[in-house]
Amino acid sequence: MENLTPTEFVAVVNQTLEYAYSSVTLVGEVAEFKVNQGKWVFFNIKDAETSIPCFMTLWNLTVPVEDGMKVVVRGTPKLTKWGKFSFTVTKIAPMGEGALKKAFEILKKKLTDEGLFDVKRKRSIPEDLTRLGVISSVDAAGYADFVEIINARWGGMKVLVAHTQVQGLDAPEQIIRALKYFNENTDVQMIAIIRGGGSRDDLACFNDEALVRAVAASRIPVIAGIGHEIDESLVDLAADVRASTPSNAAEMLTRDRKTEKIREKILMMRQRMMSEINMFQSEVIQKKRLIETLNPERILRQGYAIVKGDFEIGNVVKITTFDKETEAEIKKIKERQ
Amino acid sequence: MASNLNEKIKKLDKQVEWFSSEEFELAQAVEKYKEALELAEEIEEDLKTLKNEIEVIDKDFTKEAGI
Repeated sequence: MENLTPTEFVAVVNQTLEYAYSSVTLVGEVAEFKVNQGKWVFFNIKDAETSIPCFMTLWNLTVPVEDGMKVVVRGTPKLTKWGKFSFTVTKIAPMGEGALKKAFEILKKKLTDEGLFDVKRKRSIPEDLTRLGVISSVDAAGYADFVEIINARWGGMKVLVAHTQVQGLDAPEQIIRALKYFNENTDVQMIAIIRGGGSRDDLACFNDEALVRAVAASRIPVIAGIGHEIDESLVDLAADVRASTPSNAAEMLTRDRKTEKIREKILMMRQRMMSEINMFQSEVIQKKRLIETLNPERILRQGYAIVKGDFEIGNVVKITTFDKETEAEIKKIKERQ
Repeated sequence: MASNLNEKIKKLDKQVEWFSSEEFELAQAVEKYKEALELAEEIEEDLKTLKNEIEVIDKDFTKEAGI
């Protein structure tokens, strides 16, 4: 290669870099972080000996970043037309316990202040859930547990599954795409985002700002079943319903066919019927007894008599006793005192 | 389908409710009980046999890294 102009040389170098290093991830500490004109982000990523200048658009910055934070960045190297080496970043994420915790706290405060996690925004699980969307990795243990439990507990649901990564730099975008797909192309009544337990680094994608906003903005209610019980992600806070684990999400979404008390319901109806019948029978018995006490034959058996006819002297009257019917002539009538 | 199963369970719950309500009448109870018993048996059968239909969407949600 001879007699190249500077422009041509830079073009050749960049072609070579693009071919040889089309996608590189770097891990290091952030330094001299700044945002220019509200859209261009500049910082250095460094280790003990070397510092590489980085550039990215504010649009791609979906996690809080500050000087001193350990991060992983993905991008491509480039030589600028001013002959400076630069690393164009397309993805960035905090790395390590300290950086992740700090980024989480910063973003949590920001989104809480915006009202994204307000209880008033939350929607409940539909009562008659028959169409469910699931976003998860179908290869993951958390997904397998979720499916096993919903199948054991209930039946007849139509479940659509969007297979995505659930950790790593690419996971947030994939989950966002899956959310968009469900919202725009399906009639599912609820979306479950499922991911089993893991380290803070593994679960970091669920603190990505763009993803958290997408969950909060979902037209379809979202339930999050992420990690273990003690893990809390910003997606958990943005979701309409938070389950402590994938298994718990499965339990919250389904009834338990074993505890549907069908027989008890039948028994209860039967008991009410029997109770009414018994009450009815008691009433009938009481009324029968009452009728018995009013029965004339009973009075006659006690020694009384029934006298029928016109009560005038010389008339014949009919006398009925328990065992006889007699005719007698009236001889005398006297008023009782 | 679960929508039918859920509807059947709701219907049974309504029938049970009638039995504990003030509208209960013994004259109608036997017929209603028979209906409820039939429905209960259908529900029990559904609970034993109904399965979920799980479909993985045939769409690639991945994106080439870094681009």
